[in-house]
Amino acid sequence: MVRFFLTFLAIGIALFALELTPVVQKLLVLPWTELLARTSVALIKVFDAEVVSFGKVLESTRNGFAVSIEAGCNGVEAALILIAAMLAFPSPWKRKLAGIAGGLFAVQALNVVRVVSLFYLGQWSLTAFEWAHLYLWQALIMLDVLIVWLLWLQWLRSGESSRAPA
Amino acid sequence: VRPLNEVWRFAFRVLAWIAPCFAAWYWIAAWYDRPAAWVARAMAGAWAGGSVEGIAFEGSLLTFLTTIEVRSASGETGLLSVDVNPLVYTYGAPLLAALLLASPRGWRMLVPGLALLVPFQAWGIAFDFAAQLLRAGPAVASQAALVGWKAEASALGYQLGSLMFPVMAPVVAWAFLQRGPLRALLVDRAVTRDRLQSE
Repeated sequence: MVRFFLTFLAIGIALFALELTPVVQKLLVLPWTELLARTSVALIKVFDAEVVSFGKVLESTRNGFAVSIEAGCNGVEAALILIAAMLAFPSPWKRKLAGIAGGLFAVQALNVVRVVSLFYLGQWSLTAFEWAHLYLWQALIMLDVLIVWLLWLQWLRSGESSRAPA
Repeated sequence: VRPLNEVWRFAFRVLAWIAPCFAAWYWIAAWYDRPAAWVARAMAGAWAGGSVEGIAFEGSLLTFLTTIEVRSASGETGLLSVDVNPLVYTYGAPLLAALLLASPRGWRMLVPGLALLVPFQAWGIAFDFAAQLLRAGPAVASQAALVGWKAEASALGYQLGSLMFPVMAPVVAWAFLQRGPLRALLVDRAVTRDRLQSE
C-alpha cells in the first residue's frame, strides 16, 4: 500500500510538472480546453441558441455574460490524478489502458456538466457561481475520480478472481 | 433485482454527506483555517527570506504582514501586506469529512484526517503568498529573496498548492486512513462473492 502511494505521488507530480511545460500547454492543454468550450456550447445550443464560444471562452449573446475555462477547470488535473492512480496500481497494461480511456470519458463528461452549470449559475448569481466554481465542483470532480478508480479496482479484482483456478 | 454495487452505495452516501459537510466547513472556516494559516506563516517566513512579520485574520480572510517596503506612485513608502483566501486551499476538508462519514466507522478518523490535511493547506496558502510577491514585480520579489531558482520553485509550488493538493490530499488521506476497509471492499468482497457463487 505504501509503495502504491509513493508511486502514485511520484507519477502524479511528474505528470503535473510535464503539464506545466509550455510545449504541453500549447500542444495539448490549450487545444483540449478550446475543444471543451466548443463541446459545452454545442450541448448548450440544444436548448439555448444564444451562446457562442471563442477560444476557451463561452459567452451569452443575450446578456454578454462570459466564462473562460482556466487551469483547474478543464479537468486536466483531475485526469492526471486518475491516470497516476491507475498507472501506480499493479495491474495488466490492457486493463490500465481500458480504465484510463473509460475514466477520462467519465471525468470529462462530468466536467462538461460543470462548465455548463457554472455558465448558467453565473448568469443567475455571481456569489453562487464563485462558491460552486471555487469549492463545490472541485470536490465533486475529485469524487468522480475516486469513484471511477474504485469501480476500476473492483473490475480489476473481479477479473483476477474469475481467472483464479478453482 | 441486483443489489446496488458497494462502490455506488458508498458514492451515494458521500453525496448525502457532502452538503452538510460543506455547510459546516463554511460556517466554522474562520476558526478551522487558523492552524493551516499558522503553519503557512512559518513556511512563508522561512521561504521568503524572513520577510513575514505576522498574520492577521478578518473573518475567513488571511493577511500576511511583511517587512517588504513598497513605494506608491506619489513617492510615499509603506510596508506590503498580502491577502490570501484560505478557503481556496481548505475546501478539501468537507470532501474528506464526507468520505470518512460515508465509510464504516470513518467518523473515528475525522480528527486525524483533518490534521493530515493541514500541511497541504499550509503549502497552498504559503505559496499563494509567494506567488503574489512574484507578481508584484522584481523590486518586491528581491526583498523576499525570491529570485533565480527560488522564483521558479515558488511558481511550481503555487501551481501544486492550488491545482493539485487541495483535491488530491483529501482523497489520498481518505485512502490511507481507510486502507483496511478499502482492501476489504475491493479484495475480500470479490473473494466472498466468488465463494458464494461456487457454493
